[in-house]
Amino acid sequence: MFKLLITPRFVGFRNRLRRSEGAKRAKIVTLAVTGILFWFVLFFLVYRVLTYFASQEMFGDILARHLLDMVLLIFFSLLIFSHIITALSNLFLSQDLELYHASPATLTEVFLSRSLYTVIDSSWMLLVFGLPVMMAYGVVYHASLHYYLSLIYTFIPLMIIAAGLGVLVIMSLVRYFPAKRARDIVLFLSLVLIVTLYLVFRFLRPERLVNPDSFVSIAQYLGALKAPDSPYLPSHWATDLLWTRLTQYPESQILNHLLLWSTALAMVVLNIWTAGRIYFKGFSKAQEAKRRTRTGKRILEKMVSVLTRPLGADTASLIAKDVRTFFRDNSQWSQLLLLGALVVVYLYNFSVLPLERSPIKSVYLQNALSFLNIGLAGFVISALSARFIFPAISSEGNAIWIILSSPLSARRLLWSKYFAYLVPMLVLAELLIIYTNYLLKVTPFMMVLSSVTIFFLVFGIVALGVGLGAVYPNFKHENIAQVATSFGGMIYMITSSVFIAVVIVLEAGPVYTILAAQFRGDAITQLQWLWIVSSFIAVVILLAVAVRKPMAAGLRSLRSYEG
Amino acid sequence: MIILKNLTKMYRGTKAVDNLNLRIPEGTIFGFIGPNGAGKTTTIRMMTGVLRPTSGSIFIDGLDMAKEPSQVKRIIGFIPDRPFLYEKLSGTEFLRFKAGLYGLGSNGLDNEINELFELFELSEWADELIESYSHGMKQRLIIASAFIHKPKVIIVDEPMVALDPRGAKLVKDLLRESARKGSTVFMSTHTLTLAQEVCDQIAIVDRGRIIASGTPRDLEKQAGVTGDLERVFLTITGGWREREYV
Repeated sequence: MFKLLITPRFVGFRNRLRRSEGAKRAKIVTLAVTGILFWFVLFFLVYRVLTYFASQEMFGDILARHLLDMVLLIFFSLLIFSHIITALSNLFLSQDLELYHASPATLTEVFLSRSLYTVIDSSWMLLVFGLPVMMAYGVVYHASLHYYLSLIYTFIPLMIIAAGLGVLVIMSLVRYFPAKRARDIVLFLSLVLIVTLYLVFRFLRPERLVNPDSFVSIAQYLGALKAPDSPYLPSHWATDLLWTRLTQYPESQILNHLLLWSTALAMVVLNIWTAGRIYFKGFSKAQEAKRRTRTGKRILEKMVSVLTRPLGADTASLIAKDVRTFFRDNSQWSQLLLLGALVVVYLYNFSVLPLERSPIKSVYLQNALSFLNIGLAGFVISALSARFIFPAISSEGNAIWIILSSPLSARRLLWSKYFAYLVPMLVLAELLIIYTNYLLKVTPFMMVLSSVTIFFLVFGIVALGVGLGAVYPNFKHENIAQVATSFGGMIYMITSSVFIAVVIVLEAGPVYTILAAQFRGDAITQLQWLWIVSSFIAVVILLAVAVRKPMAAGLRSLRSYEG
Repeated sequence: MIILKNLTKMYRGTKAVDNLNLRIPEGTIFGFIGPNGAGKTTTIRMMTGVLRPTSGSIFIDGLDMAKEPSQVKRIIGFIPDRPFLYEKLSGTEFLRFKAGLYGLGSNGLDNEINELFELFELSEWADELIESYSHGMKQRLIIASAFIHKPKVIIVDEPMVALDPRGAKLVKDLLRESARKGSTVFMSTHTLTLAQEVCDQIAIVDRGRIIASGTPRDLEKQAGVTGDLERVFLTITGGWREREYV
């Protein structure tokens, strides 16, 4: 029966691969190629870091081991979180669960088959991100075959322990809260945790570790090297095991083996025992309707209503609906926390730049940085757009029929979404650029140039988001966050990054010429003026194309949408 | 008045709707029945402007759907078979949103919304989020929303899905009353008793084509059987084979 219960997922996956043709096959191939490229880039990066560590006589091995410990601890924590989130869906919320529970399969069989789905869904990440890191260690330390084999028998119990912990947490949560509320709690907590970890990590400035000169004494440096580690953590047992294999240090690892495998087995037993007692109660509770929630008009909604009134009843209704649904969906608005963290770290990085210690003349550096800052700010706006603007059309979800059967034209739908997102993005981009320029103390010329450039870049970035979001819509998503990480989302990020890069490249030369002439007190020649003017004309044309083309493509796609 | 001219829809080489021709006069309740996969929902999706036909035309109240989609949609009230809604809006907010999409001003809108809520027995739930509604309540809300702009043409796909007997009776009365006032109702359904009870004209569709049409009496003559519509339907669509097997 267990084998039968896990069949649908594997057969479905096989059919998807076999029966994909044309665009779908191209999509799979593109994703595979991107994955492989990413794999190699990660391998190369870790390889470079480890080779650099290896060249440091006294601290090389300490740093490499420290890094391995940190990597495994991060993997282990991420695995637990990933299991919590996917277990909630696989064990309590999936639509096919009714079929499983209505079948003659025993509760243990249902629980184990769904747990296996959870392990697969949560652990593929480990393969993609973990393997290149571990391979790089193996290559740098000239590890024997034994090391590569030990990867298998170390990671399997580590994965089972993480899965066990994740599933236990979610079963306990759902026992006391309805599953949908538990999802909100988990999402919110994981987001707060990620933001906190990110901020703490950033403010610790880990880049100082590779520069021992910045510490007053060796003792202080070694103190800073101490990671939050504990001999009771499974990731620590795994580090010990792998490190011995890497360095071929003749130390018995039987205890660590026993610890890993016995904990994994204990987790399985504990989970089956707990599931027998509380899993079905939780699943049954998950079927109950959501509690009644009364709504009222809030200040933001009133503001939106006043601001959108001149746009006409249809557009105003659409924008008001978008604002309401956004702020009532916990998985949506809570992402604003990530946005906040991203902006804080971005600004913080500028505030700690050691400009005065640079060997390059500070005025040059400040202006060059301000110029690069346009690209970076553009990239931040792109990343935010990928999460919030690219899914704007898909966010209509299954209710898209309401719009399509209404008198609101596809053109008006697209442009309503465009203007609704353009205004906040413009404000954010200008705040970022002006404040960072203020920190950099740039010349008035650069202040004006970067503010104007980012202003127009945002028009293009938002158009690419809305337009490509309509070209690659997904109205059948279970979670809107999936849309941002889809194939279309990837295409958007690539297109948007290329667009920003080309604008920067087109402006870089002329700006350098103007700045150099200013500092040297030289006059700009006629030929140089011609080049400067044509570069800026090219930028204007590119901006126009970046707004027009994706919106037109999005419009065509919406009009020919076949459901 | 609804006119479908040579309406065809192809999906990857398969004809889901095959050269459909229909003329439905004002004030008629028209039943569109057929087995699963016959092309009923595809036809309805084309008529409501959700799907583009491969060829052929749709005229509603003299307006061409291909040329003036916004004007046509303004006079249609559409009730789909599945109640997909914006779960994070309240019932009142949804009706206001729908009114906005159809360009209705706020004058008298509150009264209109309250009347609809009362009619569909949803007043108590008006300010609750739609996610807390039951399946039947969502279907009632969708039906209420289809009437907010007083449509001349009502297109319904399986109207009785998830409705309790009170809701079903209400919908039947509402459709009859709308037709009496001059609206045209186009209704796809599997509930043959409903079709027999309320429809003035019926078309039976199979594999994208109309295989019989007329008043219920005409269909009886065409099938050569008398009695209920189920016998007529099974005779025309060949469903007796399955019945004999059972």
